[in-house]
Amino acid sequence: MSGVSFNEAILELPMVTLTIDGKKIEAPANTHVLQVALKNGIEIPHLCYHPELSVSGGCRLCIVEVEGYSQPVPSCGLACTDGLVITTQGERLYELRKNVLDLFISDHPLDCVICEKAGACLLQEYAYEYGIKETTYTPTISSTLYQDDNPFFIRDHQYCILCGRCVRMCDEIVGVHAIDFAKRGFETNIATPYDGPMIESTCVFCGNCVQVCPTAALMPVSRKDKGREWELDHKTTICGYCGVGCQLEYALKGDEILYAQASPDGPVNGELLCTKGRYGWDFVLSPERLTRPLIRRDLAYELGLTSEPWEQPDTSPLADRQPKIEDYFIPVDWEMALDLVASRLAATVNEHDPDSVVGLASARCTNEENYLFQKFIRAGIGTNNVDHCARL
Amino acid sequence: MQAFGSGAMTNSIRGIRDADCILITGSNTAEAHPVIGYEVIRATKKGAHLIIIDPRRVPLVDHATLFLQPQPGTDIYVFLAMMHTIVKEGWADQVFIEERTEGFEDLAKVLDTYTPERAALISGVPSEQIVEAARLYALGVRSKGDSVYDDERGHSTILYAMGITQRSNGTDNVISLANLSMLCGQIGKPSTGVNPLRGQSNVQGACDVGCLVNVLPGYQRVNLDEPRRSVAKFWGLEDLPDKPGLTIVEATHAALEGDVRAMYIMGENPMMSDPNTQHVERSLRSLDFLVVQEIFPSDTAFLAHVILPAASSLEKEGTFTNTERRIQRLHAVLPAPGEAWPDWRITAEIASRFDQERETNREPGYWHFDSVADIFDELALVTPIYRGMNYARLEGQGLQWPCPEEDHPGTPILHVGRFSRGRGKFNPIEARDPAEQPDEEYPLILTTGRVLYHYHTGTMTRRSEPLHWREPHGFVEINPNDAEAIDLEDGFAVAIHSRRGQVRTRARITERVPPGTVFLAFHWREAPANVLTQDHTLDPVAKIPEYKVCAVRLENPRQNKK
Repeated sequence: MSGVSFNEAILELPMVTLTIDGKKIEAPANTHVLQVALKNGIEIPHLCYHPELSVSGGCRLCIVEVEGYSQPVPSCGLACTDGLVITTQGERLYELRKNVLDLFISDHPLDCVICEKAGACLLQEYAYEYGIKETTYTPTISSTLYQDDNPFFIRDHQYCILCGRCVRMCDEIVGVHAIDFAKRGFETNIATPYDGPMIESTCVFCGNCVQVCPTAALMPVSRKDKGREWELDHKTTICGYCGVGCQLEYALKGDEILYAQASPDGPVNGELLCTKGRYGWDFVLSPERLTRPLIRRDLAYELGLTSEPWEQPDTSPLADRQPKIEDYFIPVDWEMALDLVASRLAATVNEHDPDSVVGLASARCTNEENYLFQKFIRAGIGTNNVDHCARL
Repeated sequence: MQAFGSGAMTNSIRGIRDADCILITGSNTAEAHPVIGYEVIRATKKGAHLIIIDPRRVPLVDHATLFLQPQPGTDIYVFLAMMHTIVKEGWADQVFIEERTEGFEDLAKVLDTYTPERAALISGVPSEQIVEAARLYALGVRSKGDSVYDDERGHSTILYAMGITQRSNGTDNVISLANLSMLCGQIGKPSTGVNPLRGQSNVQGACDVGCLVNVLPGYQRVNLDEPRRSVAKFWGLEDLPDKPGLTIVEATHAALEGDVRAMYIMGENPMMSDPNTQHVERSLRSLDFLVVQEIFPSDTAFLAHVILPAASSLEKEGTFTNTERRIQRLHAVLPAPGEAWPDWRITAEIASRFDQERETNREPGYWHFDSVADIFDELALVTPIYRGMNYARLEGQGLQWPCPEEDHPGTPILHVGRFSRGRGKFNPIEARDPAEQPDEEYPLILTTGRVLYHYHTGTMTRRSEPLHWREPHGFVEINPNDAEAIDLEDGFAVAIHSRRGQVRTRARITERVPPGTVFLAFHWREAPANVLTQDHTLDPVAKIPEYKVCAVRLENPRQNKK
């Protein structure tokens, strides 16, 4: 193999040097101040900014002081240039940001005590940081629309702060543009065309909007009434569906999965998933899961495991809408099942030859399982009759 | 593989977003690989041109600059005509051809007669579109914005999937795409390459570790003495069988002839996934012994003598290798239900008991492994492309093969500076037509594939409540013209007949398919697409069945009653 190691992410771009909070930082010329600050571990509060999305500049929380400017400017849209001197903290910035948060809070229910997002809500986090207990304005909730029109996610507009992350995600990355800002001014809300049900829109239910929502406006149905963020364990694994290899983070309460999301560290998918990966995990809980070794009834009768004779029907299992496994098989213990399999395979090799046995491995099993499987077929049985559905 | 010396995605998924031009063919990326679809959409939003060559109007066409819609089975003419144009117009990368490849003259000779006009006549794609696609791809042209690369020509990448390979000339198609990329020097650099998008979580890994009939772990051919004996030695044996085995489709034929008597199936559902279902069922029923290791009672499991309950991917440790050759670790999220075991434990138990039955003497603990880490570390030693890896090293971001030494960082891009086989080889390819052509009795072409909300044979996704809610029933996509011909309305039942059998499902009348073509996904056990597909003509090299082209006839059951 000749491939030379090369990191596609590192491309040569002209670099500039700027100063943030007294720290000299080198950054590529086409980047923005907020992006660079966050990458260098300098925290600037932000709600509408998301690293995967284009800059919106709407929330005004990421304002910074720029040397030579009389007024603070949002750092998310401020391009890095040589010699730029930035201050991210200060009394004026603190007061301005506090007022921005005060305005957000005036149109947001302060029911954190019962909110499932509590602990993972960005607005809550910043309100805490800036010491905001309640609004100094007259509290008015602009929209109380509650839309639970699908089994994937709930849209609870009272929590929506109109940051627009979901809208940009849907358009810029998922490319379906199922939602956008509707109406004007205080009446504004995020809606499908004509505010119809989600299923009548172009939505593909990938839930990437839910992933980037900073508040409880977009929440997975599967976690409703099931527990709060700090009660949950998070376990990371790789999605079992297609070959992209997305990293998935499951949030669990005990042994119950409450929801799945992407973890930003995923080398392939970052914060993105598709509908199958994010919502298609509940098959593992199906009562139809196989939980005991099974022997078909005719063979079981032959072996004296049951007194009821049985004959395999001629009709295809596919012809039966819901064939029941217990009508065809009886459960046995592992010892019996394993011994039976081993003896039947050995008998086949003894009576015929190793090439009369075929093993089909699985494109859904692990490398270790597939390796061991082909080793058994080749070194154990003694044939190269080992294949899987790579072609199918 | 013949062209470059290895068969896998040449580049990384994250590089797609920086491509200047993307050519997608035979892949419904947005539905079958949505997260790669996002990369494509990001690239187009930044100004990359997107060219789609597909008989179906797949969802990504909404973002495409050019949509070339060849009649099913005729895309090879489009690829050849693109290359013809590139050579003729001087868009080929002469420096790359001279420095990195061989056999260009042979290719150029073959290309001579494959003009865009001829391709247009056969495929139905206007010749101007073929010429424009050739230009955009060859030169890596953008629609707007600046390239992140400052090379003379932009970076173009090719993505393809089973629409290209599940064909009686699938190998020819892949070689043609490889030829196209080398002709334009669009390989061995970031955001370029020839990239098969693999459809299953560990299909790449299953191939890598040797679950193929002709190769041992790491693509070491069984008929080459030296690597085979070295693997044998590692496994404590003198030698291993040198005769390539039977592929799935060949095995089902051999079973009916009595040459195959027993099958051990781990986590596969050939009753739904293999072509010509009635034949598959006859074949499985004819076996003396069938054992199926599964998480659900699949239609294949119903035909087994013994079913062994396995843990799902959420319930086990181990590694998967993704389509960009990245090996990543799984972590058990849940305990396995009841008495279900991880597959490796079951196989190890069967193997050691099999040895006892056969009275084979091996060193004690030959089939015993304490953990998957032990198995991985052994497989890394046997598999040259994995040799520098160990289980602990894979935590976090994983590693992309080849990774031959312990301090090797892995390989995000293949063929940088040099191809695996040395020089890239142009294999001259002539166009061949699909094995089964429509005729008077079966006038339409059926093509199969997936829908967004379901996966493969549906055993998992059809048991997921939200996914079931969104796409509860099987359906066949039919063009309005073809629907009108049999007086068929949207949502009503329709029967599809082929030379192998018939299925009944709901009609979805849509212009996503062109007139003369119908599309049926293979997820639906109540309407199993593979009852219809053919298994008589496989790709001669890869032995892949032609799922994407089979002749069918539609019948409106209500019309017959009228």
